[in-house]
Amino acid sequence: MLELRHIHQRYGSRPLLQDVNLLVSAGEIVALLGPSGSGKSTLLSIAAGLQRPDAGSVWLDGADITTLPPERRGFALMFQDFALFPHLNVQDNVAFGLVEQRVAKKQARLQALQMLAVFGLSALATRRVWNLSGGEQQRVALARALITRPRVLLLDEPFSALDADLRVALRAEFSNRIRAAGMATLLVTHDQTEATSMADRCVRLMPGC
Amino acid sequence: MRARSLWLAALPAAALAVLLLAPLLRLGWAGFSGEFGAAADVSLWQPWQDAYLRWRVLWSLAQAAITCVLALALGLPLAWVLARFEFAGRALVLRLLMLPFVVPTLVAALGVLALWGPHGLISEALGINLQETPWLLLYGNLFFNLCLVVRAGVDALGQVNARQVAAARSLGATPWRAFWRIEWPTIAPWLMSSLCLVFLYCFAGFGLALVLGGQRYATVEVEIYSLVAYELQLGQASVLALWMLLLTGAVALGYAALEQSLAAPLRNSPLARVRPGNARQWLALLAAMGVLFAVCALPIVAIVMKAVGAMMTGAGGIFDAEALAALWNTLRFSAVALTVATMLGVLHALATQASVVWRALAFLPFVVSPVTVAFGLLLLYPSWSASLALLLAAYAVLAYPFVAKALAAGLDALPVHVLRAARTLGASPWRCFWRVTLPLLAPALRRGMAFAAATALGEFAVTLFLSRPEWATLTTLIYQRLGRPGVGNLDAAMVLACVLMVLALLAFLLIEWPGREAGEHADARVSRPQSSMNSGMTRRGHHA
Repeated sequence: MLELRHIHQRYGSRPLLQDVNLLVSAGEIVALLGPSGSGKSTLLSIAAGLQRPDAGSVWLDGADITTLPPERRGFALMFQDFALFPHLNVQDNVAFGLVEQRVAKKQARLQALQMLAVFGLSALATRRVWNLSGGEQQRVALARALITRPRVLLLDEPFSALDADLRVALRAEFSNRIRAAGMATLLVTHDQTEATSMADRCVRLMPGC
Repeated sequence: MRARSLWLAALPAAALAVLLLAPLLRLGWAGFSGEFGAAADVSLWQPWQDAYLRWRVLWSLAQAAITCVLALALGLPLAWVLARFEFAGRALVLRLLMLPFVVPTLVAALGVLALWGPHGLISEALGINLQETPWLLLYGNLFFNLCLVVRAGVDALGQVNARQVAAARSLGATPWRAFWRIEWPTIAPWLMSSLCLVFLYCFAGFGLALVLGGQRYATVEVEIYSLVAYELQLGQASVLALWMLLLTGAVALGYAALEQSLAAPLRNSPLARVRPGNARQWLALLAAMGVLFAVCALPIVAIVMKAVGAMMTGAGGIFDAEALAALWNTLRFSAVALTVATMLGVLHALATQASVVWRALAFLPFVVSPVTVAFGLLLLYPSWSASLALLLAAYAVLAYPFVAKALAAGLDALPVHVLRAARTLGASPWRCFWRVTLPLLAPALRRGMAFAAATALGEFAVTLFLSRPEWATLTTLIYQRLGRPGVGNLDAAMVLACVLMVLALLAFLLIEWPGREAGEHADARVSRPQSSMNSGMTRRGHHA
């Protein structure tokens, strides 16, 4: 269970987040809605540990993890630009997190191949990531995120770089896979339909609150 | 975070302070206080009162200005042809435009001599003598700087928005009017910025003016050198150097102001390139390539022809012990300088992210002339003047900004999400650096190191000032050979220049023909938006 308590964050001299409280249970998908500039992505960065809040705390399963660095949180974060590593091929991108968990490289690659098979991407294993289509890139990014069995999955507008048809198709696929994996999931989006079709619950963030 | 950046900055900051700023201040003080001039009655205004020195200063300014005008007049049409026409070999030509950036100054000077000098390929065929005319120096200046303006022009023309041009055309503008009213305002600041650099390089240039200027058309830098090395007139030299510092400083500030006002739009729809359609367009393309070849490639071809000719006529004694020792010195000095420069450059770049001032400091070794640095070092550390450590340290300080600039540009262009993704996937900051940042920066690092290596290989001014006879490098040996009488020595100089050029070419190949592995793609992304600035800054060291 991921908990954000009394988060405050300023952007320059402007208050961005003021006393934000949020609770995401395990197996639950919560959508975070709001116009651009409302601090959605900042809140996600704070949850991931990439950014320290001005005030407030982040809790996971009853432990305060506010000061824990991102690599020790066991979270996974997905971006709208996919953020695949351009110097690694598909398989090594997926295996990246396992290698960081001290899994032997050979073993990590094997597991990555299995993961790719589940996603129906086996044929792409040795391809360079910039040769993939947008949908394929985002599937690889999800595979890379899920392979480490993260305790929390954070999605930052994951489909906004994709075209409309693909977006709808991926929505269903992603929410099925995420539910099967069963972790607490926070989905940032500005698309109301996306939020209602994927999430159990929607939270709206207004600018400056 | 900030504290760590400051720690990283400590070593390069110390190097800059001890080897660059302190000597310049010392030199400035010597010129201002007149400590050497008191006896000889040298005033601060002497360069403007004395007719001989005034000619030197005015000619230095004039030859730089003339080069700017010529480079613009030739470079803009060339850039336009390269930016607007699609033809086989276009990409290759763009790559070859980098070539003069890695050619050492002395090699360029010898290339000009091989064409136009005494016994030159062209001058002998035409039966003319250009010695003691300004043309040799101007031609040498153009060899280096035309490519700079062409590259800046091609980059700038790529910034012109096709929709704006289309709008202007539909509003009744002819292509010519559209060029002047839409394209020119867009590209003018870029061209001006590159011309500032051209002016700076020509004005503060040393090697070309020393070899090609002769008695009458040498520049202030050459005058400072001969005052220090031959006439021991430190008073006059320091006053001249002070004026050089002020004048180059003013131009450098102008350049910095221009650079700051240049911001590339994030997204742009550049004009599509067309295949030359009619005879006139083909003629324009051919003419452009002809000019480019004549200015930028012919001197290099001439050196090779001269060197091959010299080898054929059995000048077997060229590779004597002296030449081999110089080759060995060049290689080992460059290796040491490259190692130290890489270390300093990496530290400087990693610390760069903290402040703008710090970032600008990396430009400092580019804008000060090596002659003033070397002179300042001599004044400040007289007891170290014959020390190998000081010589190598000066090499490293002059070369490291290439590494720092390339890496800083690479760091700016690193996709931030990729690093964040790595962190959330469990990579600690150090692991993240090792597994993601470093592989992505490898192309930028390689590029910077190759330029630094080319700089060290071609270093001339500082070596001439600080070196002892047994530390002669290829550049200083070439210069010595030029000074000795006889065709045999000229031949030897040509062969040595050819060897030096091959070494520089190896550096060039490292820069422009990287492996097709992971780097290729990352490089295209990492180095793209900075290209015009990079090409600008990479010019510097070779004008030494």
